[in-house]
Amino acid sequence: MLPGRRGRTVSPPPGALAALLFFLSASPLHALQEHGPTDSLVLHQGAHLFFLAAMGLLVLRLRQRGLVRHPGWRKIQLAALFFVLWNAAAFFAHLLDEQWGIVATVRLSPAWVRIEAGAFGEILAPLYYLARLDHLLCVPAMAFLYAGLRDLRRRPEAAFPGEEEP
Amino acid sequence: MTVPFWPLFAVDVGGSLAMIALSFLCLGTATHLRRADPESLLRIYLFWVCVGLAGFSLSRAAGHIARQGLLLAGREDLWAALRPYSSAVNTLLFVALAAVTLFFERVWKATERIARDRLALRRARAELLEVNRELERLAGDRARALAFSERQYRRIFEVARDPILVLDPEGTIREINPAGAKLLGGGEEAADRLRGAPLMRFLARPGAWREIGAAIERRGFVQNVELELRRADGVLLPVLASAVRDRESGGEGAAVHLIARDIEERRRLQEQMAQADRLASIGQLSAGVAHEINNPLGVILGYTQLLLRGEAPGSERHRDLKTIEKHVRHCKAIVEDLLKFARRSEPKQEKVDIHRTIEEVLHFFGQNAAGGRIRLESDFDRRIPEVVVDEKKIKQVLLNLLMNARHAVGGEGTIRVVTRWLEAEGKLAFAVEDDGCGIEDKDLPHIFDPFFTTKPTGEGTGLGLSVSYGIVRRHGGEIRVESRPGKGSVFTVVLPAAGAPPEVET
Repeated sequence: MLPGRRGRTVSPPPGALAALLFFLSASPLHALQEHGPTDSLVLHQGAHLFFLAAMGLLVLRLRQRGLVRHPGWRKIQLAALFFVLWNAAAFFAHLLDEQWGIVATVRLSPAWVRIEAGAFGEILAPLYYLARLDHLLCVPAMAFLYAGLRDLRRRPEAAFPGEEEP
Repeated sequence: MTVPFWPLFAVDVGGSLAMIALSFLCLGTATHLRRADPESLLRIYLFWVCVGLAGFSLSRAAGHIARQGLLLAGREDLWAALRPYSSAVNTLLFVALAAVTLFFERVWKATERIARDRLALRRARAELLEVNRELERLAGDRARALAFSERQYRRIFEVARDPILVLDPEGTIREINPAGAKLLGGGEEAADRLRGAPLMRFLARPGAWREIGAAIERRGFVQNVELELRRADGVLLPVLASAVRDRESGGEGAAVHLIARDIEERRRLQEQMAQADRLASIGQLSAGVAHEINNPLGVILGYTQLLLRGEAPGSERHRDLKTIEKHVRHCKAIVEDLLKFARRSEPKQEKVDIHRTIEEVLHFFGQNAAGGRIRLESDFDRRIPEVVVDEKKIKQVLLNLLMNARHAVGGEGTIRVVTRWLEAEGKLAFAVEDDGCGIEDKDLPHIFDPFFTTKPTGEGTGLGLSVSYGIVRRHGGEIRVESRPGKGSVFTVVLPAAGAPPEVET
């Protein structure tokens, strides 16, 4: 009991008292969280999904706005589609080998590699092999982006809002 | 499943290099796009997407190439140490890239909004330009109309025959038209000299301007005020002035616009008409009196002549009766002159060579009336055709004028007879000029009155000019006089060449 103004006494609220006790009794483990190797993998996978979603949304917006009538934007749409596929392939590969660990690669010699996929090896191994060739998706994506930008540069009329006006 | 390693290696390394090359090509193209319109939000957006892609490609390709190189070199340990950093940078970059990509919709909308606003601005600008052009056209039309109007009013101001003056409230001349400059300054070029001069300098009565100014101050205008303006040659000219106050006179403060109309001619005509009326009244009176006196005079003369028959010549009664007869005859002559002045009978209409008529009178006058030191001169306009007049009466008029001239010049001087053909009016004019004593201003209005004479008693009856006036008026003509005391007089008779009109008021 503490003396209050005009001679009254006041008491602290029960919640505040509980919080005080909680912080005084907390161990150092509550202050900093440990990050194992999977944390960065989860973050990376999340980033792939985020990028995939962003590219998918871009495709959707380009189509909604009818921009794909212009060859430049049409090619940029294809670039976004390829980036969607690339993100999906990369996500799939990371999922199999790092996240779930059901696929592993063993270097047999400088020229050969064995893909081990356990019980589903017949299906997963070829898919994983193809997924590891992800540049076959991201390079075309970049190529389409470049071609699209070139088209936008060559034919800017009707490509950018307001620029069709003289 | 065993697979060859080289495709993985080739695609990984080749793809990484291709990614780097393509990403920088994209960045270059985006840079060009941005430079083409540096203010385009969409172009800026594409540029930054390409920057992100280039960074991502570079980071990822570097990581992949390093991985392949280190694995080939058998340095898995080194790659294991490097891998988390490469992976983290890649993750960060394509998260950033994805985040930027998500703004496409917002950027596109903003770009569309900007484009709409820009279009609206362009249209508004075009409309403003059109409105401006229209305004300029209207302003041009209005300016031309104003210039035309100004020219028109300026022309009225310049060609007006009546003097027009713009004065300040104190009566100082601000503007004066050519007619005013001619009247007050002697010539149209005097306008510059007259600007700034006070009007009261040209008023016969300087106080008149104070009265006009007070009236304008009170009522805003004055109308038909009679003034006398002093002409450049000093002669006073009667004018009828109207003036109005203008409170907004082109930024120079209040002004007074004054128009003066020369009424000298009108006043002269009015005087002539008044004189004609007076003479007509006198003529009627004279005719009545003469008629009443003429008959008794005839009776007196008849009985006097009867009595003379019974008297021996040389006797005292004969001499007395002769005196009566002489004075009765004199009275009859006067009465006949009065009747001639007042008679309404039409003059004879005969074709006359006016110069021959004048020469006959001059010959007679030279032989009988003119003294030796009086020079007779003539200046004939030979274009005058034969005219229709009553020759005897015209001779009488001319002789009367010559006799008056002789009286005016006294013993020595010059009398000149001039004729002129007024072709436009179909009239002839002959004038008798002398360099005699002239006529006093006070006498001028009365010279045509019957019995008015300046000659000594017994030398004239005062009927000569009255009779001449009556004859000329009955011919449909007019007789004018100009005289300057001490300098001489000019009597001008103007007659219609085709004869008198059927009804002429005398």
